[in-house]
Amino acid sequence: MSAIQRFTVQQDGALLGRFEPIEVDLLRLATTQLLEMLDSGTANPELAATDGIFGRLLPDAYRDDDEAAAEFRRYTSVNLLAQKALNAQTVLSSLHSDVRASDPIASLSADETDVSAADTADRQPYTVSIDPDAVQAWLRSLTDLRLTLADRLQISPDGVVNLATEDTPFLRELYDWLGMLQEELVYAIDI
Amino acid sequence: MTKTAEKTELHSAIALDRPWVTLVWDDPVNLMSYVAYVFRSYFGVTPQEAERLMLQVHNNGRAVVATGNRETMERHVEAMHGYGLWATLAKAEE
Repeated sequence: MSAIQRFTVQQDGALLGRFEPIEVDLLRLATTQLLEMLDSGTANPELAATDGIFGRLLPDAYRDDDEAAAEFRRYTSVNLLAQKALNAQTVLSSLHSDVRASDPIASLSADETDVSAADTADRQPYTVSIDPDAVQAWLRSLTDLRLTLADRLQISPDGVVNLATEDTPFLRELYDWLGMLQEELVYAIDI
Repeated sequence: MTKTAEKTELHSAIALDRPWVTLVWDDPVNLMSYVAYVFRSYFGVTPQEAERLMLQVHNNGRAVVATGNRETMERHVEAMHGYGLWATLAKAEE
């Protein structure tokens, strides 16, 4: 998979990203869940102030001054949560922008009514277009996704995964994959 | 006398304005490449300086990434939280 470069920079500065259908499905699922969580935090600020994951998404700005930390949270959390939700929405919109739709050959095969042909088309990689603003949203949202997964995986400060359930291998793989994706994105825009 | 008075005033003004700092803390989640990218893109530092600060976070557990007045540091901390970095502000150590 690493043999093929995922992201290529277009002349207008936008990135084209190539994804396997399963990758798009997973990213959509994870981002949708993140969005729901962020919305629940916006709807219920008390929960957001006490729940563990929000403590990492919106950490205390003052380490030794609870009052100042609470005040900072009061002034910034609504805005930060809204921005994080917007970033997640941007990722979801990018994933809907499969440029194959404007490709005459691809749309021809998409018009096929034959079930097996449709299946074949379905398994083809997606190509999504991500403009420079959206790249910023992607970078931040991938971080939020990884922070959320790290909380779920109970990753300790030294990086050890402490969650031991049947979900652990899948969550861990997803966590590592999101990290790889983020790094590919950083390198793609690095000049 | 005038001189002395001026000096005293200047001194107390400096004492009142002991600056604040923005600190970024090490966490097990954020990638080194991403942290260096954030420092370059948000603070506009050179790639070398971004790398130095990132390694300081990684090796020492934290780094001072900005110094200034409290309002500016709060703005930086909010921006860092937007990027998903673990940042705090504090009065600069004397």
